[in-house]
Amino acid sequence: MKKILLIFCLLFLSASSTGCWNLKEPNQRAFIIGVGMDMTEDKELEISSEVAVPAGLGSSQVTGAGKKNTYTVVSAKGKDFMDAGQRLQAELSRSLFYAHRQTILIGHHMAEVGLDKYLDMIFRNPKSELRSVILVVKDGTAKEVIKAEPTFDPFISTTLGSQQSALGMKPYYYRMLLCDAFSEGTQPIVPAITADPSRGYVYAGSAILDKDHGIKLVGYLNPEESMYDNWIMGKQKNLTFTTSIGKRNETISIAVQSLKHRTRIKMVKHRPQIYISLHGIGSIVENNSSLDPSREDDLKTIQTKLSQEAEKKVRKLVDKAQHQYKIDIFGIGEHVHRQHPEIWKTLKPHWRETFPELPITVSVHLRYRDPGQTNSSL
Amino acid sequence: MKLTGSQIFWTLSTVEIIMAVWLRVSPAIETAKQDAWMSMIIAGAIGLAITYLVTHVSLLHPGETLTQFSRKLLGGWIGRIVILPYFVAWFLLSGDVLRSFADFIHLTILDRTPIWILMVMILALAVYLTGISGITGIGRFCELAGPVTFITLILTFLLNAMNTKLLHILPIVGDSSWQEVFKASLPPASFFGESFMLLVLLAFISSKKKIIVKALSSIVFTSIMVMLATVMVLLVFGPYVGMELRFSYFMLVRSINILNFIQNVDVLVIFIWIFGVFAKISLYLFITSYEMAQWLHVKNWKKLMWFCAPAIFIIALLIPNEASIMMLQKLWERIVIPVCAIAIPLFLWMMTVMRRKITKH
Repeated sequence: MKKILLIFCLLFLSASSTGCWNLKEPNQRAFIIGVGMDMTEDKELEISSEVAVPAGLGSSQVTGAGKKNTYTVVSAKGKDFMDAGQRLQAELSRSLFYAHRQTILIGHHMAEVGLDKYLDMIFRNPKSELRSVILVVKDGTAKEVIKAEPTFDPFISTTLGSQQSALGMKPYYYRMLLCDAFSEGTQPIVPAITADPSRGYVYAGSAILDKDHGIKLVGYLNPEESMYDNWIMGKQKNLTFTTSIGKRNETISIAVQSLKHRTRIKMVKHRPQIYISLHGIGSIVENNSSLDPSREDDLKTIQTKLSQEAEKKVRKLVDKAQHQYKIDIFGIGEHVHRQHPEIWKTLKPHWRETFPELPITVSVHLRYRDPGQTNSSL
Repeated sequence: MKLTGSQIFWTLSTVEIIMAVWLRVSPAIETAKQDAWMSMIIAGAIGLAITYLVTHVSLLHPGETLTQFSRKLLGGWIGRIVILPYFVAWFLLSGDVLRSFADFIHLTILDRTPIWILMVMILALAVYLTGISGITGIGRFCELAGPVTFITLILTFLLNAMNTKLLHILPIVGDSSWQEVFKASLPPASFFGESFMLLVLLAFISSKKKIIVKALSSIVFTSIMVMLATVMVLLVFGPYVGMELRFSYFMLVRSINILNFIQNVDVLVIFIWIFGVFAKISLYLFITSYEMAQWLHVKNWKKLMWFCAPAIFIIALLIPNEASIMMLQKLWERIVIPVCAIAIPLFLWMMTVMRRKITKH
């Protein structure tokens, strides 16, 4: 009698402890790979989800007829994320599964309206994925981009992440957006992408979001500007820089690898002075000029020229931030906060007005480590 | 039933580490912002003082548990009344822990399994372990589970190294005042102060040698681990996101992403949570049953497990929501620790000293 009771107990325990209540086979799930958020004309949230079609994935070797699509895009409108999700479900025979979401795309209009109301779900929902990268779609809707046909991978959303690292940037995860949005003085600078009918999806620089006003879109930086901005913010790992040299505008290119950045705040009569210094070491990858990097003099000319050119570009960017956008896109406020917490308390309430008048000094030092396979230009 | 010195060390740390890492990091960040890690050090110091006190008092009465020596010191009735707050504290704590455990598992992995089943399962295991081997079995379990917990924690910290941003922890004592840093240290200190269970446990030690060092180093070890967890949460999420997270350490583990390959290791750390909770519930089941047996003069303490286990279960079931868990934690911090971990041990200590002086003369 005792034994039978024990066996029943064990059976009961194994049934409950192995999660039979939660049993859901993978073929009952619709894996969301990427999600796009748009705001429609009539101020409704539209969620487009890219759902993997496993049947299409296995047949990558099979060519010709009968090849299934690897993904499908479903979209629905709703009051919020999960409300739209509920409506998405109506189009799918499998239940939505959020834990594999790689990418979150924000439509242009959505970014203009502001993201602050929709940040919560991605962190709160225990089934949601924290490691998604986030991008803004410049002048378009997330729906268009998510529908685009990727070149290498089966899904556009995995492609977008790898595209960022191919461009030498550190991937910008949703977690970082949240950190920036809740920080004292860093504005979220989110990578941007455009849907180009002829070229597919193209990296378009970055979107400046204003965390003080509902994480609204302020403007865009072009790819070159965002490269410098990422460098200052420490989000760039490598970059290629080209300058024209001499009278005949011959070009020389350097691939810079170890990028360093430093922002120093000096207090002069209670007014902050900003010193941004950028360092980079790289190798010369293209030289169409008459200069010979193996000669001391020429090398110096090349290095100073490159550094000056980069410095000019950064200064232009600083000027643009201070006078066109009037927003601190370099996270300088955060540096003031870290380095002079007491002064920051008085500066913070009117940092907006202070920032355009700040004296910002920029210095760039590009050095070369490797001349490449040739000495002078071939 | 005997416990070795290293079993005391691991029992104390396994039981305390997990709860503090899981539940105390965000509240500290909420008050002290990026200086929360300093609060953890202060909390560790407070925990050390409490542990020293209870160890000292307990070692004055070798081989006797709290009920035994308080009855001896204060006489039958007063000695019994003094123990009552401890029963209340231990039962409430075990119920609270059991409920938090089930809530967390329910939230993260088994969202369709009824909560009571989760609680019955872990409680049945605890009854089994305690019933079969008593404190020795619990000590041995902790000797195994403790190092595993330690390695897992360190591993998850290391795997997160890529996600950290050093700037998040600056400025040091710039935004929050020392006052706030001290204030933030109280909730974790109340968790470290849980070591007043040593008043019972130290009756079972096999030798007195180095017990004080073992008990104190266990608290040091625990607070260092909790401090590291706090630092990592701060470095990865920053103070403002960190304070919003309910289970910040768990979120930390969920952000691990190495080369797009090592991901989703969160399922693997749930087992250290289960280890910690299991050790804690078994331990309190033992302590309450054993002490109640002493209190009621029952020879076989195992019989009282059949009262204590259902009592813990019912308390856990009766907790209606998150708000009351918060309230229980407040109660623990404001009343239980001052009374059970400081006032009564001090009183008992004074009584012991006085008694000894009187008998000498």
